[in-house]
Amino acid sequence: MTVHELRTRPADSKRGDASDGGALAGQVGGRLSRVDGPAKITGAAKYAVEQQLDGLSHAVLVESTIAAGRVRSIDTAAAQAAPGVLKVLTPDNALRLNTATDWLGTPPPDVPYCPLARDITFSGQHVAAVVAESFEQAVAAAALVKVSYDEAPVIADLSDAKAGDGIPVDAMTKEWGDAEAAFAAAPVRICAAYNTPREYQAPMEPHGLIAQWQGDQLTVWEPSQWLDGMARTYAEWFGVPFENVRLVSPYIGGGFGSKAFAYGYGAVAAMAAKMLGRPVKLAVTRPQTFTAYGGRAATRQTVALGANAEGQIQSIVHRGVNETSVDGMWVEPLGSVTSIMYATPNFSSRQNVVRVNSVVPGALRAPGENPSAFGIECAIDELAYEVGIDPLEIRLRNYAEQDPEAKKPWSTRQLREAFAAGAEAFGWSKRSPEPRSMRDGNQLIGWGVAAGTYPVRRAYGEAVVRILADGSVEVESSSIDMGQGTYTILAQTAAETLGVPADNVVVKLGDSRYARAGVTGGSRLAGVMTGAVHKAATAALDQLVGLAISDPRSPFHALQPNTLVVTEGRISSPRGDGPDVPIAELLGSVGRDRIEAKGDTMPANSTPEERYKNYTTIAMALPHTEGDYSRHSWCAHFIEVRVDEDFGTVRVSRVVSALDSGRLYNPKLAESQWKGGIIMGIGQALLEEGIVDRRHGRIVNNNLADYLIATNADIPDIEVISVGIPDPHSSALGGKGVGELGIVGVAPAIANAVFHATGMRVRDLPITLEKLI
Amino acid sequence: MTSRTSIHLTINGHDHELEVEPRVTLLDALRDHLGLTGTKKGCDQGQCGACTVHVDGQRVLACLTLAAQAQGRSITTIEGLAEQDGTLHAVQAAFLEQDAFQCGYCTPGQIMSAVACIREGHAGSDDEIREYMAGNLCRCGAYPHIVAAVRQAAMEAAS
Amino acid sequence: MRDFSYLRADTADAARQAGALPGAMLLAGGTTLIDLAKCGVAEPETVVDISHLKGLDGISVDGAGATIGALAKMSHVADHADIKSRFPAVSEALWQAASAQLRNMATIGGNLMQRTRCPYFRDPANFPACNKRSPGSGCSAIGGVTRGHAVLGTSEACIATYPGDLTVALVAFDATVHLGERQLAVDDFFLLPGATPEREHAIEPGEMITAISIPASAAARRSTYLKVRDRQSYEFAAASAAVGIEFEADGRTIRDLRVALGGVATKPWRARAVEEALKGKLLEPDAVRRASLLAVEGAVDHGANHYKIELAPRVVARAILKIGETA
Ligand SMILES: Cc1cc2nc3c(=O)[nH]c(=O)nc-3n(C[C@H](O)[C@H](O)[C@H](O)COP(=O)(O)OP(=O)(O)OC[C@H]3O[C@@H](n4cnc5c(N)ncnc54)[C@H](O)[C@@H]3O)c2cc1C
Ligand code: SF4
Ligand code: FES
Ligand code: FES
Repeated sequence: MTVHELRTRPADSKRGDASDGGALAGQVGGRLSRVDGPAKITGAAKYAVEQQLDGLSHAVLVESTIAAGRVRSIDTAAAQAAPGVLKVLTPDNALRLNTATDWLGTPPPDVPYCPLARDITFSGQHVAAVVAESFEQAVAAAALVKVSYDEAPVIADLSDAKAGDGIPVDAMTKEWGDAEAAFAAAPVRICAAYNTPREYQAPMEPHGLIAQWQGDQLTVWEPSQWLDGMARTYAEWFGVPFENVRLVSPYIGGGFGSKAFAYGYGAVAAMAAKMLGRPVKLAVTRPQTFTAYGGRAATRQTVALGANAEGQIQSIVHRGVNETSVDGMWVEPLGSVTSIMYATPNFSSRQNVVRVNSVVPGALRAPGENPSAFGIECAIDELAYEVGIDPLEIRLRNYAEQDPEAKKPWSTRQLREAFAAGAEAFGWSKRSPEPRSMRDGNQLIGWGVAAGTYPVRRAYGEAVVRILADGSVEVESSSIDMGQGTYTILAQTAAETLGVPADNVVVKLGDSRYARAGVTGGSRLAGVMTGAVHKAATAALDQLVGLAISDPRSPFHALQPNTLVVTEGRISSPRGDGPDVPIAELLGSVGRDRIEAKGDTMPANSTPEERYKNYTTIAMALPHTEGDYSRHSWCAHFIEVRVDEDFGTVRVSRVVSALDSGRLYNPKLAESQWKGGIIMGIGQALLEEGIVDRRHGRIVNNNLADYLIATNADIPDIEVISVGIPDPHSSALGGKGVGELGIVGVAPAIANAVFHATGMRVRDLPITLEKLI
Repeated sequence: MTSRTSIHLTINGHDHELEVEPRVTLLDALRDHLGLTGTKKGCDQGQCGACTVHVDGQRVLACLTLAAQAQGRSITTIEGLAEQDGTLHAVQAAFLEQDAFQCGYCTPGQIMSAVACIREGHAGSDDEIREYMAGNLCRCGAYPHIVAAVRQAAMEAAS
Repeated sequence: MRDFSYLRADTADAARQAGALPGAMLLAGGTTLIDLAKCGVAEPETVVDISHLKGLDGISVDGAGATIGALAKMSHVADHADIKSRFPAVSEALWQAASAQLRNMATIGGNLMQRTRCPYFRDPANFPACNKRSPGSGCSAIGGVTRGHAVLGTSEACIATYPGDLTVALVAFDATVHLGERQLAVDDFFLLPGATPEREHAIEPGEMITAISIPASAAARRSTYLKVRDRQSYEFAAASAAVGIEFEADGRTIRDLRVALGGVATKPWRARAVEEALKGKLLEPDAVRRASLLAVEGAVDHGANHYKIELAPRVVARAILKIGETA
């Protein structure tokens, strides 16, 4: 297992962009190419389920074909008898597992957990699994398992009459002033409903794992956004100590929120491995990825805006609903952007959840903020037309100078700058205001703008930094890189802090045996981990300099300096007098083969329990409004669409986005993530929709030919502009979140552009052609 | 009854003998039987392009090709693209330089597809690249950088 | 996928013989067959690999027309210089289909035999009722999710859309399917579902497609294929049209017009009513739009696919105007 111990390539000579003062590639803020790149472009990078183990067997899931009811019986005879079959798992022969703590840290009820269901609450629920010698045999045998059911009526989706109004989620209620009365009294009023469908993360690497037991030690190779959290779940399920579970996830083929938890199929595979005494691989099939875990819940919102004739908002009344499963709870916070984007003296937001027969929904890039922005950012566009003001101007008129909800100043909010820079680059001033006033042949052209935001989520992290005898540096952390660039930015952080070239730094991630890390989600990892690595590297540097000063064998000893500097891997005195020696030489002369320092950003007096809790739950996360500031990333998207006037097809032809993620640790990689978010937003706006057969409560387009995500041909060139400034309140090195920000606001910018192009307001995503003809 | 056939595959210039069931796809043969995991499985249904390899120099999908069907043909995978001494293929180098990937999972398929796209003469303009690379989905959304990388490699190939 | 035996055919005759055995299926590019075997729809006992047969992949174009071997790859036909110049609609229908990789695998013979993308058809585990798959079991689509289903040529038994592109162009230009000696007009090769949706093609066990031929025509030379879909690429058509036009010497009066529709019908759909309405007329936008409405005469929708009835005539009209207006 050495493939994920990567060396950085020679530092790119290219300098950073102006936003970072032209940092060298190998330093924080530099445009270093991905250090894990060479492994990925040569096929050498081994993803979790690609480990080649002796005696590997293959498990395939059998899923319920009804959405509600009970399993009456499972006939496994034919499957048992099929060639190569080692085991058919059903609720009857499954091991008794414990229920695990949830991600919030809520202690579990003392009831057994069975990942194979008898009571069916959604179509696609795991009911059995077949393990066989080969993958092909397991697939064939799984098709022979016959399950009979007693069916019950299905609540298919939010529009099902049986679904009702749902359950109020009081924690989502936000109110100030008298919103209803102020709305009623407002001279200008608009009110509309905005809907988003079920959407799926659809990472290109499907989920799955390999589980192997050695005694009571479990090793799980599984793509993971949260090694420590998932290790805890496995440990609790199987009643073994946390330390006995090792999660390995060197590369992750995309997660987008979906790979942070151990799911039922993981329990199935680990259980099978235990029962068979053999490693078991379970690869979730692409169709199964639509039901083995949840995508974004379908949502509905009504947004009522009351304003004066100048377009100044006087009241926002917001009501939201999202679907959740019959026996699980997922709240997609629909008022999260509504309550902070614009200044308003009166505000009310409330939210319900409605139970339907689906898998419990989950996190998908910017959960909450994404659909929330769709509501408010379309609504303010509608208001702009209603009062006859430019959609950009109305946003500036309602600019929130402080957090309207928390009533605290922003830590940094470069949103005005984003509007200005984006508008300038896009040429917004040349926009013809009337809808349907711009065209090119059969193509109606529309320009739309929308803003986005994402809170800065903070937590504590831990890292080990080692300076080795040859002067090279190792960084270890159980955090992960799923494409955001963790390998690279941590190498840059260590290199800059220690004063060594980035290509002398090896970053090791993706193994729960390394120093602890919390969840990689909510765009928090970079801020957390650069802080931890900075701290660990600083401690290592202090040790190194301390040795050089105080060890009698050191060439610097005679000089009695106060301090020393390390640059380009060499130690010297800051005044330039005296020796100038490579780190390796110094370590040699003082007889040390390594210097090691662990750094964590936890409060100094934290107990071991608090540490464990911090890394394995999100209970210790710091609220973004903690202390004196409200911390968020911000962005403004300017988008041009072309709508075929006869066919109703919408294509995005131009995107300029200006984004404030604070300081960028590596602009090259941050730009890629922003663009990735924008591209996912284009798909969300125009293509993506889980389509439910309402009779069967089943997603019928559970594959990549029918659940359409954008192709290369759907995406124009995208210009992203960084308008961020270092934000000391958000992270140690001044960065704010990057990964989720880009998608927030894209769908409303497109919907607004479509309105500008056609004069038709589509408030139901995705904006497919039949809605425009 | 499980029938097995013994097949002979030529992959990246090397000969391999393997005993597999006739229903084994080229993709599973590469990944599960030969340890060549550079070729990725994104859908197993011909819908994503992650499994793109070259068969007799043409880009095809390994998930819809039977291993047995590929006997007698010459197969190239991502592992066989760089030179023996490790020198990257121009497309690989361009992908790194342009940051044309994030998670890297679609990347081997993108690169194999891009090499063929250029060879086919379908990299003449950005729009042509977009269309002829549309069979390789990338959920991380590296598309604009993929176009830039293909453009760059195509220009290098032309000069 | 259930287990099967694999047989590589050396000659066309051997392929035909092996293919006639019960449970045997021919394998060309495999992009339909292997896909459907994975879905559990196709359950061959023997797979007869014809992809290595020699001499069946030729493409020849002369004054009389084009002959394309059954094993020619979609990509090769699409890029063939003479196909591009004399049958642009054929080339365009091909390069807009599937993806570059799939087109490198898929053969013309297999393309004719591709099956519907009806999601219920493709998911036997969850939807046992499908008359196309198991005659008499019912139709899961009717009353369900029908956004992609057909509005033309449907029956009470089946409303599945014929998904392909190439054959839309073929049916417009009166192509012929060669089953060895036997020849059939493409239009007759595809069957309407009626009461027997399981039977899609007029091909008998033991027969194999060996080639298709397309007669040369002025209309084919001046032709286009217009495909409209949600996604810009790598998707089947929401509605498409293959159109060819020939003008009288005046350059304005329509002498010959060919119109066929894809994505909206249960088979590649020749729209003769549109052709007849415009032949002899001047190419005039309003007249073209009016006549194009005839393309969906008799169309029946199932709710979510209603838009196809609106969309198809617009696609036809756009295609006619585009090809008529470009010199
Ligand atoms: C993701 C995806 C997207 C696609 N998108 C499109 C699209 O946009 N437009 C489009 O038109 N098509 C599309 N296709 C379908 C594709 O074009 C067909 O799958 C392909 O043309 C089939 O050819 P093949 O050679 O691979 O057939 P095979 O899979 O080998 O065979 C298909 C069937 O035909 C039979 N058969 C094969 N050759 C012969 C012969 N010579 N004589 C008699 N029977 C024969 C086989 O027994 C089998 O039943 C798509 C396919 C996929 C998987
Ligand atoms: S429409 Fe046809 S193919 Fe689809 S379920 Fe009904 S019978 Fe089967
Ligand atoms: S794995 Fe082959 S196309 Fe997706
Ligand atoms: S790089 Fe992640 S899917 Fe393309």
